Amino acid sequence: MLNFNTTIIDTKEYSEIEISVIEPILKINLRGKNRDFITKIGKELSIITPIDPNTSSSNEKLNLLWLSPDEWLLYSNDKIDIKDVNSLEDKLFREISKVKLGSVTNVSDHWIMINLNGTKIFELLSTGCPFNFNNFKNSKGAVAQTLINHIDVIIHNKNFNDLNLFVRRSFSSHLWSWMNDSARFI
Amino acid sequence: MSKDLRITNSKFIDQTSRISFKFDGKNLYGFKGDTLASALLANNIHLVGRSFKYHRPRGIMACGSEEPNAIVQVGNDTSMTEPNTRATEIELYEGLEASSQNCWPSVNFDLGAVNNFFSPLIPAAFYYKTFMWPANFWKLYEYFIRKSAGLGKSPTEPDKDIYDHRYLHCDVLIVGGGISGIMAAKTAAKNNLNTVLIDDKNILGGTTLFQENECFKINNSYSNEWLKKEIESLNSLKNLTIKTRTSLAAYHSYNYLLARENLTDHLDLDEKKNKIRQRLWKIRAKKVIIATGAMERPLIFNNNDRPGVILSSSIKKYIDFYGVKCGQKISLFTNNDSAYETAISLNKCGVSVNSVVDIRDKTNSLIVKHAEKLGIKVHWKSTVVNTNGYKKINSIEIMKLSDDGTNVIEKKINEECDCLGISGGWTPRVHLFTQSGGKLKFRDEDNVFVPDKSDLDQISIGSCNGDFGLDDVIKNTVNLINKFLKINNNDYENLEIISSKEIDKKNIWLLPSDKPLGKTKPFLDFQNDSTANDIKLALREGFKSIEHVKRYTTTGMATDQGKLSNMHALGIIAETAGVKMGELGTTTFRPPYTPLTFGAIVGRNVGEFFDITRKTPMHDWHVENKAEFENVGQWKRAWYYPKDNENMHEAVQRESKAARDSAGILDASTLGKIDIQGSDASEFLNRVYTNAWSKLEIGKCRYGLMLNEDGMVYDDGVTTRLSENHYLMTTTTGGAANVLSKLEDYLQTEWPELDVYLTSVTDHYGTVSICGPNSKKILSKVIPDLDLSDKEFPHMTFKSVLIDNIKCRVMRISFTGEHSYEINIQSSYAKSVWEKCFKAGKEFNITPYGTETMHLLRAEKGFIIAGQDTDGTMTPIDLQMDWIISKKKYDFIGKRSLYRSDTIREDRKQLVGLLTDDPNEILEEGAQIVAETDKQPVEMLGHVTSSYFSPNLNKSIALAVVKNGKKLMGQKLFVPMKNKTINVTITDTVFLDKENKRLNA
Amino acid sequence: MFLINCPYCGERDQSEFSAGGEAHIIRPKQPTELSDDQWAEYLFMRKNIKGIQFERWNHAHGCRKWFNMVRDTSNDKIHAVYKMGEKPPIK
Repeated sequence: MLNFNTTIIDTKEYSEIEISVIEPILKINLRGKNRDFITKIGKELSIITPIDPNTSSSNEKLNLLWLSPDEWLLYSNDKIDIKDVNSLEDKLFREISKVKLGSVTNVSDHWIMINLNGTKIFELLSTGCPFNFNNFKNSKGAVAQTLINHIDVIIHNKNFNDLNLFVRRSFSSHLWSWMNDSARFI
Repeated sequence: MSKDLRITNSKFIDQTSRISFKFDGKNLYGFKGDTLASALLANNIHLVGRSFKYHRPRGIMACGSEEPNAIVQVGNDTSMTEPNTRATEIELYEGLEASSQNCWPSVNFDLGAVNNFFSPLIPAAFYYKTFMWPANFWKLYEYFIRKSAGLGKSPTEPDKDIYDHRYLHCDVLIVGGGISGIMAAKTAAKNNLNTVLIDDKNILGGTTLFQENECFKINNSYSNEWLKKEIESLNSLKNLTIKTRTSLAAYHSYNYLLARENLTDHLDLDEKKNKIRQRLWKIRAKKVIIATGAMERPLIFNNNDRPGVILSSSIKKYIDFYGVKCGQKISLFTNNDSAYETAISLNKCGVSVNSVVDIRDKTNSLIVKHAEKLGIKVHWKSTVVNTNGYKKINSIEIMKLSDDGTNVIEKKINEECDCLGISGGWTPRVHLFTQSGGKLKFRDEDNVFVPDKSDLDQISIGSCNGDFGLDDVIKNTVNLINKFLKINNNDYENLEIISSKEIDKKNIWLLPSDKPLGKTKPFLDFQNDSTANDIKLALREGFKSIEHVKRYTTTGMATDQGKLSNMHALGIIAETAGVKMGELGTTTFRPPYTPLTFGAIVGRNVGEFFDITRKTPMHDWHVENKAEFENVGQWKRAWYYPKDNENMHEAVQRESKAARDSAGILDASTLGKIDIQGSDASEFLNRVYTNAWSKLEIGKCRYGLMLNEDGMVYDDGVTTRLSENHYLMTTTTGGAANVLSKLEDYLQTEWPELDVYLTSVTDHYGTVSICGPNSKKILSKVIPDLDLSDKEFPHMTFKSVLIDNIKCRVMRISFTGEHSYEINIQSSYAKSVWEKCFKAGKEFNITPYGTETMHLLRAEKGFIIAGQDTDGTMTPIDLQMDWIISKKKYDFIGKRSLYRSDTIREDRKQLVGLLTDDPNEILEEGAQIVAETDKQPVEMLGHVTSSYFSPNLNKSIALAVVKNGKKLMGQKLFVPMKNKTINVTITDTVFLDKENKRLNA
Repeated sequence: MFLINCPYCGERDQSEFSAGGEAHIIRPKQPTELSDDQWAEYLFMRKNIKGIQFERWNHAHGCRKWFNMVRDTSNDKIHAVYKMGEKPPIK
């Protein structure tokens, strides 16, 4: 069998901040422009496709994040078996890409998901992120694509003081070390 | 400490906690709450430095960031020392060691002071004029000038302190915690605005905090008592964040501001460790309120720079706040009312005030009358014409002013003193306002520049807005804040205010002396040692613009950026040139307001965080196998894998040979990968690549060249057709992000009608590349079910397979010219697949190779690397790649440019091969190529772009771009180097296996 | 550092964006039919105005959408942002 290796498998605790990497998580990038695409996604995933900028919608298993007027990121709440990733990817590809409604791309390993939890996580983010979290903080489900110390990230406000942060795999160990270095001083 | 210089009842100094420190090697002590400056003054030390040019003795002159003289070196460790810090801003801490700058051997006996006696020979721009000729003597001059230039010493070792950055977003930012700033902060926070108040001192309150004077009262309390209650009331405000010891450095457009917070500078030495020293706040405020106050101006008269000459308001702060007497017999010299406040404070503390010298005829304001009632003597309509004392002032010379103020008359009076307080009026601190792009206007009645127009959502209040009276400050602040925040706060209505009002104003920029101007030293810029005479000289020499005069005389160019000198310089220029000051304008105020440490600017991005690093999924394997790494963009790529004691050349020769003789394995994960889907995907590729894509069969791969619209090669890579409307494009490692962005640009702006979606999958896949004659055997062990026959799986095709149930895409493509496969697998499994391949290849001596060997192998085949053999000036035709340009396609990016008059020139630089006459001679990449060696200047025909020693051909090979290269095939040329000239011959670009037999070996 | 109102995502820090030069230069539909001079006009010639300028910007580290901006280059004031394909709201 092939071994599964993620960049980081770790949880670190600081005063009122917990940072952990949760993998493997299903992540699928969805792109499309027309109404049929949006309806189809809703139907296939039993989820409302968020069309308002910087928002998301969720069901028990999945979260769908708005990334752009024609782009969404689907990710699973929990760790997931690769077989289930493949079958969902295949199904969506068949129902969307094959019938020319849009694109379906497995990006499970393109992104690493880092969970940030605790009352001081926004202070941690403010050490390297120019984004204004003042309103974001209080809106559950909000999504922000921005930079942390010059590295692209997608931030999903899952719950109060509970964020999932997506960073490209190749940048993940650098960002992880950097955030841990930041957290020492908070 | 000299006991009689410290009074005992200061509220702000804790006289129970003694702090010992060292200055110029001497052990001294002060108290908690002192600054280095106040502690030195309490120890009767005025002389703290030497001036920049003439090395004149200089003393503490101010009490804040505008201090020009007391610039000291902090830290006893020469490797970790910090230069150019202001003694007036250093909070005293246990263990502080500081020393004077710009003097040798000591501040008391400075050899450089000889310059003072030569000073008539060193006028403005002396260096510019003197060291201009003879031109080749500059090398000699430079050595001496550099030695005498600069103020402090820079540290020689990396900064061990920790610095940090923070972003902050707020509704209202208030800069300055004086009386108006505090009123603004309270008002904003009470009205539910997320408010931040910053102040550079360790305590809020500004100068009103210690204004305990009968002439300034609010609701029957002293103004300081009223303010104290206001400050206390801030504590209960939830929306308010207060940051003290935080100095605003820069105010940029869109209300983006940078502020530096000092966190440990005031702590005792042993408490500083492992803490963040300074934090740079990056603030984005919806609204900004500037309440930075005003600075007192000096007066410009002969020898106004002696130690003991101090700004009058600073003398007041030293006595009222720090409890320190600046002298025992103090004289004051003023053109306005504020010196009388100082006189009253001194009088109250039992310090004898000799007299106040006032240039005005006579005035009867409340405070002047009060001072006179206390018995303070005033010399009306008089000026100080000279001061005496070398290392410390000991007397002043006073004369009456003529009616027009241009001359002095009557008998000279000598007055003994040990300190002279000077006050030339007030200058609003408009630096931040102008940094942000605000325009100033000049107010003639009291000669000040005040804020006028700004495009930003900001306001200036209090004395930085030109309100100097207590009643004006309060009334105007309330009105301005209500209007600015669109609220109606009535907290400050019906206040009963007593405030002495200044009635008479008079100003003389350059005060007359009984001596001719040329024989006097009226200093303007104390730190850079420029005098009023220098300004006048510059004007005589024809300089008119204030910006030119500034640079010629260096007035305002020192580390204090002319905080004290600029207004007088302007005044003297205006007067001499006969123009109005308002028309003259000011010099530009640039950030930072006070100097920033490099540490604060860099933050925590030092050491391992200096630059962002990207790692491939197999990175740990490379580390374990002792790879040397190369930076490619932000990626860390395995460069070569030295065995035993191999050097780079030896390792690369071994790796290259192994890859061609048996098998090599390369981590190609860094290549950019773009997933392309949509019904117009083929059409899209037709438009972005030079060759045709519509007929590419499903399951096949094709090499593509991407041009810029100007026809120059931009990027290249192999694209695979996965299904009817689904492609996987690869790009170069360095070009990945730019290619995706460029393609998105075309899709969004030029061709929105195309049904195409791009998604980056660069990080999703790890790529293992196996090459060499045994690669097929190795792959068959890794994926036994896959038919690897040339018929089923020929060159330039792809297969979708499973390895242990994990989906993989295997491409049979080659960048080395060898039989070769690339396995793309989800990154989480890539390291495992790599190890599996490595294990399977053991029996074939599979050899891991890095980027250097990859470059060598492809050079043997004449394959280009976009960015190494191309530089944005090479068309595909220049690269001899005409075959890749589709003649049938109507259009593609860059097509039209391929037949512009310039691109069809035949004598363009073209890519060719180069062989050295001596096969062991390896050319240097970048070396120039010429046809003749004895001609001067010699014509450069081109340069070497890639060069290696090929172990497979046993000779040196190179690629080069050469003018008209295609036609020069077989021609002998020269590569002149420093010690020799290398003979070369132009050849074909393909050195090995021209027939491509090895691809199917 | 500007604060740019991305027409899709709202106000964001300038560091999330990249600038893309002059706006409203349309790629010729039939480049092959243009003379060298006409092609050069499209390819190389750009305005550099002190004052109101129309520019292309990309929310590179956000939604990755390109959009247009009307900016006064003399004081960096952004007068309007609008989506690709839309007419400028200001002349």
